[in-house]
Amino acid sequence: MRVTNNMFPDRLASQLSTLTARQNRLQDQVATGQRIARPEDDPGAMRRVLDLQAESRQAEQHQQNIAALKEQAGVSYSALQPLRRVSDRASELAILADGTKSPDTLKLYAIEVSQLIQQAVQLGNTKYRGDYLFAGTKNDQPPFVLATDANGLVTGVTYQGNTSTAVTEVSEGMTLSAQTVGANVSGSGPRGLFTDAAAGADFFNHLIALQNHLQAGDAAAVNATDVPALGKDEDNLLFHLAQNGTVQARLATAENLASDRVFATEKLISGEADADLAQTLVRLNDTQNAYRAALQSGGTIMNLSLLDFLR
Amino acid sequence: MLGLFGTLALGTRALSAQRQGIETAGHNLANVNNPAYTRQRIQLRTSNALPTSIGPVGTGVEVAALQQVRDGLLEARIASEGSVTGYWAAQQKSLQYGQAALGQEIDRQATGAEGAAAASATGSPLGLAESIQTLFDGFQSVATNPTSIADRQALLQKAKSLASKFNLTDQRLDQLHTQLDAQLADDVSDVNELLAGIAALNDDIGNAEVGGYGAANDLRDVRQEKINALAQLVRVDTAEDAVGNVTVSINGTTFVSGRERTDTLALYDAGGGQQLLRAATSGTALTLTSGAMQGTIDARDGALTTLRTDLSSLAALFITNVNAAHSAGFSLTGSTGAAFFTGTDASTMAVNATLAGNPSLFQAAGVSGASGDNQTALALAQLAQTRHAGLNQQTFQQHYGQTVAALGQSLATANEQSSDQSAVTRLLQTQRASVSGVSLDEEMADLLKFQKAFAASAKLITTVDEMLDIVVNLKR
Repeated sequence: MRVTNNMFPDRLASQLSTLTARQNRLQDQVATGQRIARPEDDPGAMRRVLDLQAESRQAEQHQQNIAALKEQAGVSYSALQPLRRVSDRASELAILADGTKSPDTLKLYAIEVSQLIQQAVQLGNTKYRGDYLFAGTKNDQPPFVLATDANGLVTGVTYQGNTSTAVTEVSEGMTLSAQTVGANVSGSGPRGLFTDAAAGADFFNHLIALQNHLQAGDAAAVNATDVPALGKDEDNLLFHLAQNGTVQARLATAENLASDRVFATEKLISGEADADLAQTLVRLNDTQNAYRAALQSGGTIMNLSLLDFLR
Repeated sequence: MLGLFGTLALGTRALSAQRQGIETAGHNLANVNNPAYTRQRIQLRTSNALPTSIGPVGTGVEVAALQQVRDGLLEARIASEGSVTGYWAAQQKSLQYGQAALGQEIDRQATGAEGAAAASATGSPLGLAESIQTLFDGFQSVATNPTSIADRQALLQKAKSLASKFNLTDQRLDQLHTQLDAQLADDVSDVNELLAGIAALNDDIGNAEVGGYGAANDLRDVRQEKINALAQLVRVDTAEDAVGNVTVSINGTTFVSGRERTDTLALYDAGGGQQLLRAATSGTALTLTSGAMQGTIDARDGALTTLRTDLSSLAALFITNVNAAHSAGFSLTGSTGAAFFTGTDASTMAVNATLAGNPSLFQAAGVSGASGDNQTALALAQLAQTRHAGLNQQTFQQHYGQTVAALGQSLATANEQSSDQSAVTRLLQTQRASVSGVSLDEEMADLLKFQKAFAASAKLITTVDEMLDIVVNLKR
């Protein structure tokens, strides 16, 4: 083949531009650690990465949801514990109030019970991030309203929340609620914490009955009706404590699942999009050497011609 | 027998032939860096012999012709491959603009809460994929804390950012469409100028060659260069007739015939603002297969239009679905029936201004009078996983991913074809350089050769001169 003068510089220029473009691309890969960045780099992988990233972000959001639910369940638990002590003390008083106690003592007990009721109402109105925790989804007002008479005795406690709970997604297609409703008189739906028709629990009314019986000095009624009634309330409370534990356990499982999911998708994304740093650096080095060699040889060849030897 | 005077004439002819050789070498050397130049060579032949009694006697040398070293087939290949190169280069360029307009990239360093914060502070490009997912995450956050004003505010901010990203992308793609049309208009006027130039050169070449004085080499170089430039823009068929005129036709319509430009190229509206090409005088619509203009048209009406309509239908479906779920819900103030987004497609999408001004009005609850209810927010969040019949049973994210991948695929094809094509072009250019290019070494050798021959011819003249001197001095 006849090789003419301009073939050298043209070829050299095109080789140098190819090598420069390659170095640029490899440098980009080293700096970002990614094999692909734009759709043109690898359309198939780009699509898979976009899907996987959406999945991973969703799992991250689920982690945040779970964290919020755990917080809520924790706050519930810290209200349930003192409630249990209230219930214990009330049962204790009901047992103490047998026929051997004088009416005055019973009246003192009645005052203590009324204090216990007020304490329970306070616990029932526990707030979490500005919302009432035991009001169902109607949580912008205190769920329990206390009415007292002139003697400071409780005449009634009314529930003004509702019986629905809000569920939150903890993984794709799985929802969970950490909410407890204060009262459920319908017998269906989520079990009420203080009043539940299905379980026969009616904590406040039972306590008020106890208080009234004690005030009236009717130890027999206390023994006959209030002690077994309070037993049902105690059972209901224990059920809620157990349920709280179950929810927390489920949340822990869901959290593990979500973080596993994040790690798993991260690994998949890495497989699709990440550059092997060692490989890339070796390639970059190769390309740089080729570039240097092309410059060197090009510079030498282009300097020579017959012109240098004619006089 | 030439006789002494005849030999003197022989020497003169030889001198002039060698001088012509030097001139041609000089012309070649001068044009060594002219890419359109085809090297020339003088063709020498013995001048007419004199019949004598001892047989024909040679009368020296004369220049028969100045010849171009050209491979016609190669030139035609370069022109036709130029059309293909132009086609893919134009597609590549247009689709790259489309990719930039879409602005979807993968940034792995922006993964996770910490990475995202670092990346957004340093100007990481976040595309629609991230914005869509962020909005759904916002719905999730509100579903988890339905009464939290902070979460609602964040949600509306995310929705605004998604809407403006849709607006901006659509606007950019619209501008790109306009710019590509403008590019086509420029190309059309370039083509018409080149056609006029070719017709004018046909005229010049005809005039120069009419006396039978040989080929007008340099004018032919210029004409070939114009044909190559034309072929880059639009695929042409050329044919040279007996008198040296090149006829240029595009898609079967003749544009240059003889010494006239018989037709011009023009853009016309093929309906719906779609600008296509036709011959202005004959009115024939042109269906092209290669050339930069067709590359631009194919990218514009193909991948870029698909991209834009896909995004717009995605936005439209997004608006309808979100609004349908949202309007059934109840806000913190108990209001209901409000739309979440206003507008109907990517260009008009916006967050309902009333909502944006008052986050309490976001309708998260599914029942009235229960501010802690989150059924609507949850339903909105779960739209992320709903497969829509309008999107071929894909989720929003999957459909968007497909849209991005489709553009990427078109661009990757254009990139690949373009680099293949540039290899072909490089090969052809190398071949052309090998056949028609100027070699300095050759020309220097020629220079040396003709110089020596010139000196030798001059020596002949001196010798004959001395001989004549002797003859004249025979008688004293």
